[in-house]
Amino acid sequence: MKHTSARQAPRNAEEHTFKRFDQELAHLNRIVLRMGGLVEDQIAKAMSALRDADLDTARNVVARDHVVNFLDVQADEQIVNLLALRQPVGKDLRMILSLGKTVTDLERIGDEAERIARMTIDIYSSSNPPPDARLLSDAFRMSTLATRMLHDVLDALARLDVEKAIQVARGDVELDSEFQAALRRLSTYIMEDARNVGHTINVTFIVKSLERIGDHSKNIAEYVVFLVKGKDVRHVSPESIDTGELGR
Amino acid sequence: MNATASEMLLVNEPPPPPPPAEPVAADPVPAGIETVGRITVDQPRMTSRNVSVMYGDKMGIEDVNLDIGKNEVLAMIGPSGCGKSTFLRCLNRMNDTVDVCRVTGTIRLDGEDVHDPRLDVVQLRARVGMVFQKPNPFPKSIYDNVAYGPRIHGLAEGRRETDAIVQRSLEKAGLWNEVRDRLEQPGTGLSGGQQQRLCIARAIAVSPEVILMDEPCSALDPIATARIEELIDELRENYTIVIVTHSMQQAARVSQRTAYFHLGRLIEVGETSQIFTNPRHDLTEDYITGRFG
Amino acid sequence: MDTSIHTSEAMVRRRAKRRAAERRFRAYGATAVALAIAALGALFASIIGNGYTAFQQTYIELEITYDPETLGLGEARDAAALSAANYPGVVKKAMRETFPEVTGRRAKRRLYGIVSSGASFILRERVLADPGLVGETRRVWVPADDDVDMLVKGHIDRDAPEAERRVKDDQIAWITRLERAGRIEKRFNTTFFTAGDSREPELAGVRGAAAGSFFTLLVTLALSFPIGVAAAVYLEEFAPTNRLTDLIEVNINNLAAVPSIIFGLLGLAVFINFFGLPRSAPLVGGLVLTLMTLPTIIIASRAALKSVPPSIREAALGMGASKMQTITHHVLPLAMPGMLTGTIIGMAQALGETAPLLMIGMVAFIVDVPGGLLDPSTALPVQIFLWADSPERAFIERTSAAIMVLLAFLITMNALAVVLRRRFERRW
Repeated sequence: MKHTSARQAPRNAEEHTFKRFDQELAHLNRIVLRMGGLVEDQIAKAMSALRDADLDTARNVVARDHVVNFLDVQADEQIVNLLALRQPVGKDLRMILSLGKTVTDLERIGDEAERIARMTIDIYSSSNPPPDARLLSDAFRMSTLATRMLHDVLDALARLDVEKAIQVARGDVELDSEFQAALRRLSTYIMEDARNVGHTINVTFIVKSLERIGDHSKNIAEYVVFLVKGKDVRHVSPESIDTGELGR
Repeated sequence: MNATASEMLLVNEPPPPPPPAEPVAADPVPAGIETVGRITVDQPRMTSRNVSVMYGDKMGIEDVNLDIGKNEVLAMIGPSGCGKSTFLRCLNRMNDTVDVCRVTGTIRLDGEDVHDPRLDVVQLRARVGMVFQKPNPFPKSIYDNVAYGPRIHGLAEGRRETDAIVQRSLEKAGLWNEVRDRLEQPGTGLSGGQQQRLCIARAIAVSPEVILMDEPCSALDPIATARIEELIDELRENYTIVIVTHSMQQAARVSQRTAYFHLGRLIEVGETSQIFTNPRHDLTEDYITGRFG
Repeated sequence: MDTSIHTSEAMVRRRAKRRAAERRFRAYGATAVALAIAALGALFASIIGNGYTAFQQTYIELEITYDPETLGLGEARDAAALSAANYPGVVKKAMRETFPEVTGRRAKRRLYGIVSSGASFILRERVLADPGLVGETRRVWVPADDDVDMLVKGHIDRDAPEAERRVKDDQIAWITRLERAGRIEKRFNTTFFTAGDSREPELAGVRGAAAGSFFTLLVTLALSFPIGVAAAVYLEEFAPTNRLTDLIEVNINNLAAVPSIIFGLLGLAVFINFFGLPRSAPLVGGLVLTLMTLPTIIIASRAALKSVPPSIREAALGMGASKMQTITHHVLPLAMPGMLTGTIIGMAQALGETAPLLMIGMVAFIVDVPGGLLDPSTALPVQIFLWADSPERAFIERTSAAIMVLLAFLITMNALAVVLRRRFERRW
């Protein structure tokens, strides 16, 4: 949780005349950011378990996924209440919608972390010898990228920083090409030695999960842009997202 | 476009630079500010250019440019005293009745200047009808209330034609079935919502092109309000409607375009869906999200 | 233990004190109302107590012989001769015949004084109505003299020393005899309602004054209502708000406070001296009272116009009604009850007004009932003033009776105002 402590909850320059609305929005924000911190930690733990062949940590990650799910449910409840009782419009409406979608993506990221942990358990509990470092190097390279994207996008969400969000969205291209490269490399390992197939399949799942984490981060980045600018930048190529064009 | 201000409001860098403390409600809008959004429409029914209203030496509204399209519902919102009602009353020259009120600028109805001395204000008000905040039926029978306009404008000859107009107007106002058996009873005996629909029937009895509504539901309960809103939506087919409302939900529900007034200026105008999801001016945003007002 | 500060002992004491203060406050108000009612009751009791006897008059039955000789008619029976005949002689003869023992000029004069000088007029009227009476003998009830009237009604003390009363001992004896014979009777005093003023109380009535008041008020109403309403409508609906209209408004308010005698002086100077209208005429009285009533009507009418909710005006204007249509179709009908009430109250004021009428000569002694706007006449309050000034004891009760008539008129007018307001007031 120490990542989130550095962050501030998104804050409006002015408060609502009706103070409880502010408190409820802040509460939703806290849930989302807590969830963000939690899934970040889940990924970090899952990757360290993979590196250190630490099955206990991996099992912990799997077990902790229900906390992520619990926060997801909590956030949804808060959103339903806000929509029903406060009839938000404008910025408030966009914030609630964006946070709602962010929660879904964070929950998926949590699932991906859990999958990585499960693959880790698979890899190290099989009768085969542990995979060599070369096989895993792609996963670690990609996890660095994906973790940074997630971290940055959560930062951007906390500070409503559009520039940073757009950077994150652009960064997804890099991760995608890294993923393609990883796939190619992994296929060469199979060609080299058919005994690598089992590990390679697991690692393929792991890099796929990391690629998905990048995609989810990119989605969140797009929600941040929508939240701040009111423009939907999904399904638009990242290159064409230009701050200047976004109005205001 | 005041991008700098909006950036400051929305992006808080840590450590957050203390945002310039702007008590928005109290400070006047900086002079020379322009309306955000598209003020023109493709098929204007009424247009206003540089409309300003002075109450004595007090500025009521300043430099309002706004088009009102055919068969659209335009909602005007804003905090109390922002000039939305003043602007509304310019459209059928109801401000003429206030001695100290002086209107400048051009307002056109179908291209005709409403301040043209050749244009009779009586005719203008027949073409631009009005429904007021408080239901104000005349202390006469329901029938006479609706028949009054056609009578003074000579729209109906004989009892039969008048009957037809009265029935048609009451039907359009969704009141016919409720009052058909008691047309001779006083209009003031109806319930608040019925009285307001009677006032709408009275307004449409003279076949206006535009109907102005000044907070028509502020004295009504939610069910009566819903019926009026439904009625407004139906009337849009045949009339252009301009509605001033304090209820933002109402503006959101009934209107196609929304105009936001603040301290006598038209701050922003746009499609209602845009205004309520993504207002482009901070004042609009603050107002509709309930941050002041 | 309840710790609320509202249940503490100090608070209980304070509440008791507050309740006591409230009761006292109510008691003050009730006392004020009681005092007002008592004062009004005393006024009415005094007036009615003094005046109710004036609605009765003592009559004496005489056996009148319409002797042509005594009448001095000879053979003539034409109207002129009948009109100029000596009816007082007939009355005197009848008195002499009733009391044949009376001799001596002084005693006879006292005897004749028992009967009102109006008796001869009654006989003349009868003969003129039926010339066949000449030569016949009839029993006729004629009014008694006012002093006799007072005696019979008990206002003159029979036991007082003779020098201190207006009815002498022998007169009392005669009256007692007549009473014993059943020839003295108190009857309803129709004269009071049908006759004009007179020097003789038993012949005086309020009809002349009432007619004068009626014509005066007719003029006042005909002038002040349309002028007042028109002025109010202009000031309230059309006049721009500027210095001039402010000035007019202040002046109208001041005019309402001007002493009414000033209006009388104005009327004297303008209508009589400048325009040369006749003195004592209801027309002039009406004009003067119009001036006096106008501010009241204008102020009341403006208040009535102001009380019409602006939403009705807006509704009409918003429909495209012109200013005039708005006013005539909506504003005036709604303001009419208030305007009528104001007018009636103004009229009631005018009805009770004396001072300005004194200045324009409506205080003159006028016997004839006026028949038109230019006939000399007086008015009810002036009549009251005149009678109150008269020395005869009988005029005291007639004064009170006239006040009762005036009050009846005023109450009727006020009731009319209330009824009109109820009737025409509409809810909005």
